[in-house]
Amino acid sequence: MNLLRAWLGGIPAYLWSGWGAVASLFLLFAAWEGASAVYGALILPDPATVFATLAGLIESGAAWPELAVTARRALTGLALAIAAGSVLGMLAGVSLTASMMARPLVTVLLGTPPIAWLVLAMLWFGASDGTPVFTVFVACFPVIFVGALQGTRTLDSHLKDMAAVFRLPARMKLFDLYLPHVVSYLFPAWITALGTAWKVVVMAELLSSADGVGAALAVSRSHLDTAATLAWISAVVGSLLAVEYLLLEPIKRELERWRQNER
Amino acid sequence: MNAEHTHAPRLEVRGLSHAYALKTVLDAVDLTLEAGRVLALVGPSGCGKTTLLHLCAGLLTRQSGTLANGFRRPAVMFQQPRLLPWKTTRDNIAIGLKAAGVQRGERLARADAIGQTVGLDALALGQFPHALSGGMQSRAALARALVLAPDLLLMDEPFAALDIGLKGQLHRLLLEHQAERGLAVLMITHDLMEAIRLADTVLVMAAEPGRIVHRFTLPTPARRRDDAAVYRTTAELLQVPAVRASFGLEAAAAGISDGSVLPLHATPHAGDAPAAPRKKGHSC
Repeated sequence: MNLLRAWLGGIPAYLWSGWGAVASLFLLFAAWEGASAVYGALILPDPATVFATLAGLIESGAAWPELAVTARRALTGLALAIAAGSVLGMLAGVSLTASMMARPLVTVLLGTPPIAWLVLAMLWFGASDGTPVFTVFVACFPVIFVGALQGTRTLDSHLKDMAAVFRLPARMKLFDLYLPHVVSYLFPAWITALGTAWKVVVMAELLSSADGVGAALAVSRSHLDTAATLAWISAVVGSLLAVEYLLLEPIKRELERWRQNER
Repeated sequence: MNAEHTHAPRLEVRGLSHAYALKTVLDAVDLTLEAGRVLALVGPSGCGKTTLLHLCAGLLTRQSGTLANGFRRPAVMFQQPRLLPWKTTRDNIAIGLKAAGVQRGERLARADAIGQTVGLDALALGQFPHALSGGMQSRAALARALVLAPDLLLMDEPFAALDIGLKGQLHRLLLEHQAERGLAVLMITHDLMEAIRLADTVLVMAAEPGRIVHRFTLPTPARRRDDAAVYRTTAELLQVPAVRASFGLEAAAAGISDGSVLPLHATPHAGDAPAAPRKKGHSC
């Protein structure tokens, strides 16, 4: 509850501090506009056209259902990866043997291209939701697992001794000792995984699904509709930015208040 | 652990040895700590003091010898404050109470009370440890141990990083608390003078392998020792060949045994200065 209040209360000041980020986004738009002037509208339509197309998609009601489907798949896969990755990563971090054994497995998982998993997933799950969800899960899991593992392993052994001496029960060790430390490793991993989820889900949909943003992209590509393609891309990237900067970043700041000297 | 802890508990260590791989760090250590007594282990760095303390605290597994700890509520104060950086000072002090299942309101009230005693104000209690100075953090660590109302306090060079004034304040706090509660203290230090200021019994350890080479019991209670007595006793203890050898000091020279060891100390009490240590004063 406190977290929610802090989150809501922090939004205005936080948004105000975002002007720098907004300025850099506008710089990107300017470069985009410049490139479009050079290459022509067929290759790269200018931002105004793209956003008008996006607005058209939203108004016609075509955008929301597709975005909702995509978001559902991405977030399902991500949620599964966060749950499994965080828990297993922390468990592996507690034991030296487990972390040594887990390392090469994680490297294998990280090194396998998502597209390879996608092919397997298509063979296993067909055209169902399972394909994008599984691909997202597999792409995100190792990132989160490593974050949790690192976090658990790097906890100061002095603090562990302290916890032993003051006879902290297992529940307190988890909530008062491990979690606050591990969270500072987990949260960045979650944010990275969120970005990965968003990218991978669109790729998976493009190749395997009949709905979702990826499928819509496939359609606009077959129509050679560059403006619509870019409009869909903007929608996906825009929603990612919104989730990351409006939701996760303020929570992270609140959770890590003890690190900062100010505030 | 055993049945006799109902009255006069004691910590008894007999023939305790410990080795890391092939390196013996403790060799047949014997010591007894009775309730309400202060025992100081003094020795050079690397003589196994911390290992011995960790064995007593149950942080290491005993390899050989016996260790019977009859105290029911031991607490430890480490060399570093070891406060949880993500908890406020108040919550840090209360952590042992929380572990013992004390209700939130009560444990915070007790943390506040003991925090005041060791000189932490409300502002400091509400802050995260990174905002506190080293001295404040040490106070918080002392408070965290004392709030449990322990019957045995194990301390590992707790005041080593503090300046002389802070050290003095915390020594006084500790002695007051110790005398009031009949607390048994096992304290590790490499500072001979600190040991003599606080302890009833001083055990001097030597390194390689860690063993006790000299035992010394102080006749006066710690609270009645003044600076002069402390300086004098320190100087006397430094004459003992075993003690000098343990710290790697050269054998006592003639001039030193005259008592002119501490010429730099200004006279704290005019006539009773360490420059005249042979003069029998009110103590010893």
